[in-house]
Amino acid sequence: MDVKELKEQIKAHKSVLSKIALVVIIIIAFYVMLQQPVNNNYIGGGGTFGWIDAAQTTVFISIISIVVGFSIGIVVGLARISRNIIINGIATVYVEILRGTPLLIQIFFIYYSLTPLMGLGGGLESATISAILALSINSGAYQAEIIRGGIQSIPRGQLEAARSSGMTYLQAMRHVILPQAFRLIIPPMTNEYVTVIKDSSLAYAIGVMEITWFSTRVVVWDFEPITTYLFVALIYFTLTTFTSNIMRFVEQRFRIPGYMVGE
Amino acid sequence: MAIPVIETKDLTKSFGDNKVLKGISMKVMPKEVIAIIGASGSGKSTLLRCINRLNEPDSGDILFEGNSIIGKDIDIDMVRSQMTMVFQSFNLFMHLTARKNISLPLRQVKKLSKEEADKLAMEALEKVGLIEKADAYPGEMSGGQQQRVAIARAFAMHPKVLLFDEPTSALDPQLIGEVLEVMKKLADMGMTMVVVTHEISFAKDVADHVIFIDQGLILEEGPPKDMLINPKNERTRQFLKRVLQEENLPPLPQ
Repeated sequence: MDVKELKEQIKAHKSVLSKIALVVIIIIAFYVMLQQPVNNNYIGGGGTFGWIDAAQTTVFISIISIVVGFSIGIVVGLARISRNIIINGIATVYVEILRGTPLLIQIFFIYYSLTPLMGLGGGLESATISAILALSINSGAYQAEIIRGGIQSIPRGQLEAARSSGMTYLQAMRHVILPQAFRLIIPPMTNEYVTVIKDSSLAYAIGVMEITWFSTRVVVWDFEPITTYLFVALIYFTLTTFTSNIMRFVEQRFRIPGYMVGE
Repeated sequence: MAIPVIETKDLTKSFGDNKVLKGISMKVMPKEVIAIIGASGSGKSTLLRCINRLNEPDSGDILFEGNSIIGKDIDIDMVRSQMTMVFQSFNLFMHLTARKNISLPLRQVKKLSKEEADKLAMEALEKVGLIEKADAYPGEMSGGQQQRVAIARAFAMHPKVLLFDEPTSALDPQLIGEVLEVMKKLADMGMTMVVVTHEISFAKDVADHVIFIDQGLILEEGPPKDMLINPKNERTRQFLKRVLQEENLPPLPQ
């Protein structure tokens, strides 16, 4: 009993310390951010554009790509375990291609080939759409594999128990397998979402005005690369830590009592 | 004469080159308790899993209340909901409480309302003596309790027959009794049951008919009194001798 209490105290202590550290880092980041002058010349032309605008673009691209990628992931993930050879084959090819080629090349490819087909010009809007599209279908492939792995790691007996009571395959998937798989995939999904946030920096290559792109402008103007890139790293770190904390909360919220409680 | 609830005709099943069932014909009459015994790997679990087509038999026929359930146009989900199954490893839905484990198939398959399903679930839990565990998750229960919930889940569907696949094999010895007690209670209530088991004493006390399977064939069958006490076949005798020895291990020397 004593040992258990002590362990719980240490655990509570640890989580408080890490929260404090996090808050300190965020405060420093925002302090530095506010010290940066917003200079029109960074982007040329008129209007003002600062770190916060750039960060908003990064957050916007990342969130849309994660959500669209998740939708793709469920469909492709289910297709990957389908017994239908054609459906399975298409899903496998999709995953292999998206996983086996560089994301940067995918971004270029979509920007230069697909957006003209969709009737978009070469402007900023089409660059942002291309970046979101590329990140979504790329992340979709990775999320599909995570979802497939989650489904396949549910013991076969769960499906058999559901089917033997008369439930259809879809009912068993919907009410027995997926709810359990959903809990299992939270840790690998956290990895994937953090990766998407960081990979959104590749959008700078086609001129999307996100943080990395903006930092290169600032460096050209101020020529303080070390401070600037350190600051950019801090912004990404704030975003990713925030994300992993949300995911940790989700994981605890949906924990099953007495099951998968590896400490 | 009554129609058998289940009848298998010359059922065969292979896994690759391994012929597991080599032609099994058996009948299960209403209210009858059938015990299927045999060594590990004899095919008895495969036979049970072929009856509800969790494993697809290679040839032969299965009749459920006189009608074949083999074929593409059979609604096998409908049939399975009337011959529910209890597994060796319980297979409770790990993310659901005991009550929801029972009410989920009632709602999904029988399309009952939440209230009706919950009511039936609580009644079933009461029968297995676990009403106080209604809101517990499988991970919070002992193996014996989990298996009793699994039995409640199976009979809450009001099936025509219950299939038990070695229901006590994964349990600690001190937990086997509570599960066998629940099964005996179901048998006394007139439930039709097919039980694959290693518990010879349970077969002796509860079964109406015992089937001994060896190497994919029915070697001997009959009422438990004849079968288990005076088996005619030499292999049956050897098997029983070995199992009974294991059941009544001599006390350890001091």
